[in-house]
Amino acid sequence: MDNHLKLLAVGYDPAIMQVVGRLLNSHAGWNGVIALTREEGLEKLLEENYDALLLCVGVSADDEEAFHRVVNNHHLSTIIIRHYGGGSGLLENELRAALDHQQ
Amino acid sequence: MAQYIFHKADTRGHDHHDWLDSRKTFSFGDYYNPRRMGFGVLRVLNDDTLPGGKGFGQHPHDNMEIISIPLKGSLRHEDSAGNKAIAAAGTIQVMHAGSGLFHSEYNNSSDEVAEFLQIWVYPEDLNTPPRYTLGELPPHTERNQLHTFIGPDTPKGIAVRKDVWFSTGHFDYGASFTYAVHQPGNGVYAFVIDGRFYIDGKELSARDGLGIWDSEHIEIKGLSEDARLLIMEVPMIINPQ
Repeated sequence: MDNHLKLLAVGYDPAIMQVVGRLLNSHAGWNGVIALTREEGLEKLLEENYDALLLCVGVSADDEEAFHRVVNNHHLSTIIIRHYGGGSGLLENELRAALDHQQ
Repeated sequence: MAQYIFHKADTRGHDHHDWLDSRKTFSFGDYYNPRRMGFGVLRVLNDDTLPGGKGFGQHPHDNMEIISIPLKGSLRHEDSAGNKAIAAAGTIQVMHAGSGLFHSEYNNSSDEVAEFLQIWVYPEDLNTPPRYTLGELPPHTERNQLHTFIGPDTPKGIAVRKDVWFSTGHFDYGASFTYAVHQPGNGVYAFVIDGRFYIDGKELSARDGLGIWDSEHIEIKGLSEDARLLIMEVPMIINPQ
């Protein structure tokens, strides 16, 4: 059984998201998938079961609401986390805090 | 009634690498403490030391107000928006990461250490254009008074958000003053840079931090010569739009 956390990160700046993707996949316990548009993110969210959805650079409050709607309407267990800072500093902290809170 | 949270300097997270020594008041990087996730919109307070020639290579940021206060030596800043600057002790650097940029920060000296505070504040708005500002702190000869260097409509100050104020000052032994909170509901995080202070009757030493909320006035008294304090007044609710 694969115990890796499956993470979907949505952000609209390709250069920053490339770094976020590298950070996610360099972590031993995580598998990260990147989506570079709102549409791609919404599509991917329904394709697989993700433990968490990270909302990154460029994602607006309206977009965030759209992701929440999909999670609620489809009864997904995916936690939605707003990722701030665009780098390594807060990423692990935000995920751990959200997972702790869920438990 | 005023509420308090006290963070002793020696309880901070600590990372030591050959290129960086970092003491973290709040969870950051590998340091995770669910009871230390920030204070209102103040999310990061890192006390960083860079050996000569070392630093943070190019890396991205977005949607965060990143404030650097050099305490010793100087930092060499470069970013993808074309800004290049040297931030030396006595200056303050504010990077509004907004919709995203890459930057690097290196010790500008090849042989002397650089010490600085790295402070992150959640933004008021999401995805706004990035900007960079280098400002000056008041000279330490202007003693026994607080100088506000970040704040909306602050003369010579830098606006980070319309509801955040940062102030600093050098104080002599016995000098006392009252800090009046600018905006009702805001909290105040006091961080002692050097020396010792009494803050609302609690004794703080160098690099201790005290968070205070539900209070409109804070009583502060210097307990050593040339004591230096940083006051960060911030909203206690995180709600960027």
